[in-house]
Amino acid sequence: MSSRRSRSRQSSGSRITDDQIIDLVSKLQQLIPELRGRRSDRVSASKVLQETCNYIRNLHREVDGLSDRLSQLLASADTDSDQAAIIRSLLME
Amino acid sequence: MASILPLPELDPSPEISSEFQRKKRRKTDEKSSSYHRMQGNPRMNRWRTGQEQQIYSSKLIEALRRRSTPTSSSANGNDVRDTAYRVLAVSAKGTSRWSRAILIGRLSAKMRKHKKAKVSANRKLRKPASSGKRRKLPVVQRKLLALGRLVPGCRKLSFSNLLEETSDYIAALEMQVRAMTAITEFLAVGNDGGAQPPADRLGSNVNS
Repeated sequence: MSSRRSRSRQSSGSRITDDQIIDLVSKLQQLIPELRGRRSDRVSASKVLQETCNYIRNLHREVDGLSDRLSQLLASADTDSDQAAIIRSLLME
Repeated sequence: MASILPLPELDPSPEISSEFQRKKRRKTDEKSSSYHRMQGNPRMNRWRTGQEQQIYSSKLIEALRRRSTPTSSSANGNDVRDTAYRVLAVSAKGTSRWSRAILIGRLSAKMRKHKKAKVSANRKLRKPASSGKRRKLPVVQRKLLALGRLVPGCRKLSFSNLLEETSDYIAALEMQVRAMTAITEFLAVGNDGGAQPPADRLGSNVNS
């Protein structure tokens, strides 16, 4: 594809071959749970990149939600003295 | 796991805390053995091991505990998230570019607070200059740029470096989600466990 060839020309210094690109993209594809089962010749590189971006954004959102939840739990754990004592004793060595 | 060192139980507290203690002791010995077990990607498989998750969990809990004791009402969602990312970057031990970028970003943010935001003004001036001459890039290239913006510190990497950083970053994020989920569940149980505890654990019941 012409886009792949133009990309390898732009990456100066290290000549990236098309095979390397295919290899890296397939390796990335294995990490994304959505695309893990699909055959690599059906999934284009742009779809892999798009799904990667979406997946990272989802993970960021999950981390944000979890941290909000964690902050709520920590705040509520501080107020209740009985359970706070337990949690404190569990968290400390 | 091959080498599990038998450690004495230090105190008769609930098993979760003793697990944390055991994992804190174990981490220095088993870290070297876990590197030999890797198949193809030595760095990325590291995030998959349960040991790494336990290290992260204990570090995160330490950081959260240290943070919330000086000021009682600072359990902010954003603070927790920043702490979580910082601990994650520290756990990477400087082997990956995104972890270094996170830590450097925090450092410069702290210094910016003291120096009255001169650095951030420069960054704002830089942005409209780059978006003025926006060319029509091929689709894959555009998505590559978007990906580079998502992973911290990877905006100008080459293609192969960017993909390598991305896979490491994704593995680390997955581990972070698993660890925080486990901690959240643990704390939730600790909060609601006042309703149905074993009689010997709690001194006085909260509600019935």
